[in-house]
Amino acid sequence: MKTDGEAAEATACRFLRHSGYEIVARNWRTRAGEVDVIARDGDVLVFVEVKARASEAFGGPEAAVDWRKQRRLIAAARAFVAATACELAMRFDVVSIRPNEIAIIQDAFQVPS
Amino acid sequence: MFARLLSGVVVGIDAREIEVQCDVSGGLPTFNIVGLPEKEVSESRERIRSAIKNSGFSFPAGRITANLAPADLRKEGVGFDLAIAVAILVATEQVPIPQERLLFVGELALDGEVRGVRGVLPIAMEVSERVDGLVVAAGNAAEAAVASDAPVYGVRSLSEVRAFLANELTLQPTAIRVDELMRRADAVRNDLAEVRGQYQAKRALEIAAAGGHNLLMVGPPGAGKSLLARCLPELLPALSKAEALEVTRIYSTAGLLETGDALIFRRPYRAPHHTISYAGMVGGGHGVPGPGEISLAHHGVLFLDELPEFDRKVLETLRQPLEDRSILLARAGISVRYPAAITLVAAMNPCPCGMLGDVEQMCRCSAREIMRYQRKLSGPFLDRMDLYAEVPRLPTDDLFTASASERSIAVRERVASARTLQWQRLGELQNCHSNAQLDGDALRTHCSLSQEADALLRKAVTRFSLSARAYVRILRVARTIADLDAQERILGRHLAEAVQFRSTGLWMHNS
Repeated sequence: MKTDGEAAEATACRFLRHSGYEIVARNWRTRAGEVDVIARDGDVLVFVEVKARASEAFGGPEAAVDWRKQRRLIAAARAFVAATACELAMRFDVVSIRPNEIAIIQDAFQVPS
Repeated sequence: MFARLLSGVVVGIDAREIEVQCDVSGGLPTFNIVGLPEKEVSESRERIRSAIKNSGFSFPAGRITANLAPADLRKEGVGFDLAIAVAILVATEQVPIPQERLLFVGELALDGEVRGVRGVLPIAMEVSERVDGLVVAAGNAAEAAVASDAPVYGVRSLSEVRAFLANELTLQPTAIRVDELMRRADAVRNDLAEVRGQYQAKRALEIAAAGGHNLLMVGPPGAGKSLLARCLPELLPALSKAEALEVTRIYSTAGLLETGDALIFRRPYRAPHHTISYAGMVGGGHGVPGPGEISLAHHGVLFLDELPEFDRKVLETLRQPLEDRSILLARAGISVRYPAAITLVAAMNPCPCGMLGDVEQMCRCSAREIMRYQRKLSGPFLDRMDLYAEVPRLPTDDLFTASASERSIAVRERVASARTLQWQRLGELQNCHSNAQLDGDALRTHCSLSQEADALLRKAVTRFSLSARAYVRILRVARTIADLDAQERILGRHLAEAVQFRSTGLWMHNS
């Protein structure tokens, strides 16, 4: 049986493909963290975090990607770059899923300096 | 994916050309600015990112590095926003590469609006010979155009810059008619004729204007001291174009130019409140020290009302710049020299209650209080005041009957001819442009006394037991009075008047 999370990721992938993204990998894991979806948007490699919420009671899905979550995603992305020696330009997107709405937030955050 | 553009930065009142290099490459999304940026420059990343996105461009994914060269110079201010943003857009081919050597200076708002920054005039002065054009905020265009030989293009937004570089938009270079601006300075806004009576003080103002002398006015509150001081800038000859540029440059550096103002063509009049700090008076602040009131009054008048109320330390720091006509602000790693050629006018009450010496009202202060009040001023400071004038309260009758006095225009003409005489006489001397600066040999050479004047001076020295310094000051003032009278030699009547205007340091008189 699929969990809510897996269902949300499947929805997100469908929507990403529909929006012109090409899925490269799903649930890419390292010890440092996990990336829900890795996709290509033209020449750009995109690390996608999928967030689904059934209600707004605890803030919107976007609000769930806090600084700790960002740090884990960045660490995972670094590991991916190290493993694949990828030289593309990269970006972090968030796909937010609500009961009747789905949206891609492009360039949601950057690596702080 | 590399681009380079020109920008500029001010350090003190001088400017440096800065090359903005920008590299966009693959990798995780980062945006770094290197080249010794201060905090506000690093913060520009957020403004640039938003401005680019909100102007309909895409902010590139991947790794962005902007370098500000030369990398060993500390970069302050927000003027790099525009150059960095355009460099990013050029590097990502969203904007064509400029075909000419263009310089970009401006701050960006989050919506992509280009905002004015301080110090554009010094930058324009510094770089205009080496560039084909300057792109600045529309609000800065006028001040840049005054000092620039290259065309100046005022822009309102980042999208306008794109259209301009893509040749889709033709911008007219901003043109400023300096001569026309200068002519506006002739209008008198504070006329001496508006002040009733006070002939002695008006005469002192005329002498101060003619010889560049510092003036101390003493009188009760409401007698018209401030009103008189405000008339002084317009008694002085109009600023030359070079002087106007010097003044404007200081105001541009301080960020005090009104938006769209091209040139300060009137002599400055600064009247800081007596609570002013040391840094506010001579200059200072964090990072590169900014100009203080003494430099903002350059080529004009610094008026200190309620002189004894000023912090003594603040007044003492004025002594050296008054002599040097400039101020050196030295800080760790950076020192800046600002010009400070000012005429100092100070005003004070004779005692704490202000009524000492009044003919109608009694002074309520004790002798001790009066002493303490007057002692707040150090001897060396008072020594720098060449002229001392009493500004008594006008008796009630006089207020209504005193006939209208001379207008500023007439006084200004006499001042101008006296100044011409000085320039002719002092022409070859360096660092000496007015009688107030006469010293040493020049003083002896140019202040020849008639027999009568010589005898009078000897008598005055003995009678009032004058110090050597007081003697010198009387000579200088007498020279100016003779110039106003168009006399080659200082005559008895000139010297007699000069003695009248000597500052006594302390004065104790009750009528």
